[in-house]
Formats: sequence, C-alpha cells, structure tokens
Amino acid sequence: MNSKEIKGIVTDWRVATLIILVVLSVFAIFPHFDNEGNLATNLQYGLDLQQGAWIQLEFGAEVVGFTTDRPVDEVVKELSTRLDTEVYQIDETHLEIRKFYTQAELEPVFTAAGGKLTSYNQGVSKATAEDVKRILENKINTLGTKDAKVNTLTGLNNVARYVRVELAGVDMKQAQEIVGKQGKFEIRVQTLGNSTEHVLFGDAITSVQMPSQEPPGSDKWGVGFTLSEDGATAFQNAAIKYGATVDPANHYLIMLLDNKTIYSAPLSEDLAGKLQGEKTRQLFASTGTGKYGTQQATNLEIHLRAGALPVDVNIAGSGGVSAPLGERYKLMALLAGLFALLTVAFVIYYRYREPGIVLPMVLINASEIVILLGFISLIKFQMDLPTIAGLIAVLGTGIDQLVVITDEILHEGKVPSPNLYLKRLSRALSIIVTAAATVFIAMLPLALMDLSTLKGFAIITILGVLVGVIITRPAYGKIIMEILSK
Amino acid sequence: MGLINYNIEKYTPQQLVIIPLALLVVSLILLSLNMVTTGMPVKPGIDFSGGTAVTLDTSDTSDQLKAVFAAYPLTEVSEGVNNGKFLKFGSMDDAKFRSLTELISQKYPNAKIDQIGESFGKTLQQQAVLAVIFSFIGMAIVIYLSFRTFVPATAVVLSAFADMVMTAAAMNLVGIPLTLGTTAALLMLIGYSVDSDILLTNRVLKRQGKLTDKLKGAFQTGIIMTSTTFAAVTAMLIVSWLGSVQILMEISAVLLIGLVFDVLNTWLTNAALLKWYVQKDGGK
Repeated sequence: MNSKEIKGIVTDWRVATLIILVVLSVFAIFPHFDNEGNLATNLQYGLDLQQGAWIQLEFGAEVVGFTTDRPVDEVVKELSTRLDTEVYQIDETHLEIRKFYTQAELEPVFTAAGGKLTSYNQGVSKATAEDVKRILENKINTLGTKDAKVNTLTGLNNVARYVRVELAGVDMKQAQEIVGKQGKFEIRVQTLGNSTEHVLFGDAITSVQMPSQEPPGSDKWGVGFTLSEDGATAFQNAAIKYGATVDPANHYLIMLLDNKTIYSAPLSEDLAGKLQGEKTRQLFASTGTGKYGTQQATNLEIHLRAGALPVDVNIAGSGGVSAPLGERYKLMALLAGLFALLTVAFVIYYRYREPGIVLPMVLINASEIVILLGFISLIKFQMDLPTIAGLIAVLGTGIDQLVVITDEILHEGKVPSPNLYLKRLSRALSIIVTAAATVFIAMLPLALMDLSTLKGFAIITILGVLVGVIITRPAYGKIIMEILSK
Repeated sequence: MGLINYNIEKYTPQQLVIIPLALLVVSLILLSLNMVTTGMPVKPGIDFSGGTAVTLDTSDTSDQLKAVFAAYPLTEVSEGVNNGKFLKFGSMDDAKFRSLTELISQKYPNAKIDQIGESFGKTLQQQAVLAVIFSFIGMAIVIYLSFRTFVPATAVVLSAFADMVMTAAAMNLVGIPLTLGTTAALLMLIGYSVDSDILLTNRVLKRQGKLTDKLKGAFQTGIIMTSTTFAAVTAMLIVSWLGSVQILMEISAVLLIGLVFDVLNTWLTNAALLKWYVQKDGGK
C-alpha cells in the first residue's frame, strides 16, 4: 500500500473520526507517571479493584398513600400518637411514617384514625433520603476519609428504600464504625454519687460548631453547640433542679452516645451563675489543651453531629476488599483483557491467514476498547469487576461483527466491485444493527434498575454496542474495502 | 474454519430438532424440579438468598479454616488455585457479622467480604427476575420488528430461550449459583445467541442460491463468530481462575456453557425451523 492510498483511507471521514476519537480517548485516559514513578491513569476504580468498603442501609420507615374525610392535620397527629413515632405529610395523599410497620399492622390503625391506607412502600421520601445523605456525608467528611460516596437509591415511585455508602481506602471495620450504627445522643446530669438524671436527647441540639479555642487565641479547645428553645429550658431546669448550678463540682454533666460516656465535665463557674437567672441556648464543651484537646474536640464534634439519623436504619448489605486483593484484581483484569485480545487475534488469524485482514480487525477491536476506556475516564465512571467482564464481552461481540462484515464482503471469495461492495456492506450492517439493537434492549433493564454492580456491566455493554455500530464498524468497512480492492 | 463439515441436507427438520428438543425438555424438567424443591429454578447464591461470601488468600487448608470459623455459620469452603479460598456463611445478626469481620481483618487481612441481608437479597432477586423478563421481551420485540415474518422470528426467539434454559439447567448440574454476575451472563447470552441466529436467518432469507450452500456459508461465518467469543471468554476464565477472581470466573463459565448450547440451538434448532419454513414455501 503506498502513501497515497493510506492518505485516502485516513482522510475518509469514518476513519478520521475513529482516529480522532482514539487520540482523544488516550488523552482522556491520560496514562502518566505519578510522583512516585508509578504508572497512573485517569481511570476510576470501583470498590473491588482498590481497597474500600461499602455498606447499604435500609430505612426502617415507610411511605404510604392514604385518603381521609377528616382534616389531614388531625389524622396525622392521631397516627403519630397511635404509632408512637413521627409522621410527616409528604404531599396531599402521602405520609412518611418513621418507624417500621408492616402494611397489615398499619391498616387497622389508619381505619381507627378515620383514614384509609391506599398504598404501602418501605422507605422514606426523597427529601428525607437527602437529609440522611447529608448527615452521613457530614459524618464521613469530618473523619477525613479520602474518597466517599453516598447514594440514595430512589425508585420510580419516589420512595427511597436504601442508601449506599462507598468508602475508598477504608476497611470494613472502620466503615461499619463510621456508618453502621445510628448514634443515640443524650445529656445526663449527675445527681448523687454515681446516679444520673436525663436532661435532653440529641434532637434538642440544633447545630454544632467546628472545634475552636475558648477564649479565642488560647490553647484551650472545645466545641460549641446550640440547643433548641425547649432544649435550653430543659437544660436550665435540670441544672437548677439537681444542684449543678450551685455545686458544679459534684454535679457533672455527662454526654452519652449509645449509652457510652463520651464527655463528662462540670459546668463552668460562669455558666453555673448565669443559668441561675436565665436559660442559654449556646453552650461550649471544653476538651483540654494542645494536641490532645484538639483531637478530643474533633471527636466530640462528630459525636454531637452524629446525634441521630432521622430514621432507623438496618444494614442491608456490606462488603469490602483489602488493598493487596484489590491490586491483584486490577492486574488480573488487565491480564484478562490483553489475553482475550490475543486469543481473539489468534483465532482470526487461523481463519483468514491474511495479515492485511487480521491486523485491521484486531486494531479496530482494540481501538473500540480504548474509546470505551476514554469515555469511562471522561465521565468518571467507576470500573469494577463486572465492568471488566462487560468490556471483554464487548471485545467478543465486536470481533464477531467484524467477521460478519468481512465474510459478507468476501462472499464466494471474489473481490467485489464498488457497487456490489456497498450492497454487501449495507447487508452486513443490517445484520449488525439488528444484533446491536437486541443487545441494547436486553441490557437496558439492567442499566435502568438498581441492581448495584450490574448497572456498570450493562452500561458498558450498551456503550460498547453504540461505539461499535456508530464509529468502529463503518470505519472498518472503509478500511477493509481499500485493502481488498488492492 | 474448514474443520467441521456442516451439512444438514440429508436430515429432515424433524430429525434436526430432536436432539435440542430432548435437551430442552430435560432442562425444563430439571429447572422445575429445582423450583419445586427450593423455590428457585437455579440455586441462588448469596446475592439473592442472603449470607456472607468471603474470598481469602491463605495457605490454610479447608479444615483449618473450618476450625477458625467454627463459631460462625460457615456453609461452604471451596478452593481455587494459588491459595485462593472461597467461604460462604449463612445469615447472622449484625453483632455476629461485626465480630466475623473483625476476626477476618485480624487473621486474614488479605480478604474480600460481601454480605447481603436476607430482605435485601429478596429485593435483588425480584428485580433480577424482572430484568430477565424485560430483557427477553425486549429482545423478542426487536427480532419480530426486524424480521416481520412469524416463523423465522419465532425460530430466533425460541433458540435464545432454549439457550438460556439449557444454560440455567447446566448451571445447576455444574454447581454454579445464580448471582448478580451470572444473571448478567445469562442476559449477555441473549445478545450472543441472537448474533449468529440473525446472521443465519439473514443469509438464508435474503440471499440468492441453494439452501444448502447458504446454510454452509452462514455456518462458516457463524462458527468463527462463536469461536472468537469463545476464545475471549476462555481467556477471561483462565485468568480469573488463576487469579481467584470468583465473579469473573462464574460469569465466564456461564458464558462458555451458553455458547456451546448456542452452537447447538443455532445450527440445529434454528436451522431446522428455517429449513422447514423455506421448504414449506417452496423456497425463496
């Protein structure tokens, strides 16, 4: 093939598009050496290809549809009392019940409250799910986890049943500690000796400030927090009632998270005196000086924030991969891909025995994978093991379709005239488009549903089919025509 | 590949379908037997039944592992190569699971753990069943729309159905559980299986020439298509087996089994139905 012919191929728009996309993809993947001299790329890895852990939580709550002839406010109030939990109205016909009940348990309660249950879905409203997401994100961020993702899985009915937390660089134990349990925060006051009395729960805390020095500029650390009006009243009443204002040293205030003491200190002289006369909403818990003080303050801040998720949650599923295993999976995935490409090349060579056909086929096949990887890098899609399987499957179907094109054109071994060639190419493409459409449709449900890891697999397969039909097959058709008509 | 001589001229369509039909019936019986005894056509893995799966890298033997995890509901230990061990546990409560993860991170820091709660598993299972049904219906719609003739389209859909059913039955025999990964593989089979069927149907219906030649030509192309896919998937199986990557191993094993049945169903079932259709109409 001389340079003129090569120029002819390269300047064909189909081939040019392919080449440009491959180049762009390489830029998007951006293989480079990082500071430590290791080969790095822009590819993002999911939790089975790097160290990390995931936890999926299920909301112990439900969203129900209802109808009633009574004023809605009254019904909600009555339901709340009867069910002994918070009940919120989401819209005209839907309520969120923040405690787990089965449909059968709820029906008689609704009837008794003068309403009728019309639908039942376990989960919470979108708004509540967003709240939970924010709280979890806060909790995770304050711990300085490298890379964390919190996703609520909201169904088509706008009810979120699950929230999934993915933490990179963390092992399962840590992950469980971070999100596994809902903290129950309580402040108690020491009455006599070891006995204590309840003052308030975490829901009375309206905001928590960052660790700070008090007075500013000193080395004395602590965390400020704000109480609700009711909380401030309860705090003042308890302090006076149990003598913390007159004798702070013998009446410590104790903060508990899940019944474990996390903080215990007397009221300061200042505050004790002040509380005698008026309530205060702004409080400051000092934790000590220096590094120890800062550390304690950071922990206390998390604990105060961890006050509570608004809804009960159960662990629905969880998992994690250790760092070396993740590294090995990554290596294996790479090997599997390369090995697959090689064996495919071998089979193709065995069939056609013509480097002029085999080489473009394998190159086109590889370019498809490069374009897919480029796209994956660009959209910051997290590759996991099923995605790798998807990529290898794309490799397999991709080469299949190139075989269809080649055989269709080479029919009866004769090199076709341009006219006949186009006819045959379009016949081959019609086979390919039908096959591609079926794969597309077959994978669509998986891509749209939330079957966790399978989503990636399906999306990659669909993308692969699209890249193939739109970009690489037409380019191959052009290239193989030039080669065969030589 | 000239190695296999595909010539079905001397057989009637009825003779051709007899083997796949018998296999299909046996498979359906197997699946329904399973359905009756366990409630699922294929034995569900932990993704659907709930439980905990652990992959370890250790030179400890199965017996040693059983001793280490004696306090936990260990249900299965299997061994891969290169010290890879796969453990399965039944359901346990949160506290027990926490202590299990603690034990594992202490004793076998090089591990992968996956735990699925029972109710979550059930949700996944319902969704997976829906996904399979939707996929299949979607595929059938595309096929009917693109062929617009009843018999050839039905032949393709039927072959795809037979592929899935036979593969599912074989999974039971070989002992591959139905997990999220293998469900994906089964769906992938829908795509693979129609590939060669569409090629066959196109060649037979849209080309001029003798039926036998067209079938032969289609077979030549089709078998290469299957071999390339087979090669790619075998590569994946070997690498994942050596590297103890269980999910890839299961996916590729299911795909391989499916591809074998696909050869059978395309070149016997589908070809027979096409032959019958063409001969009935006096050929096109």
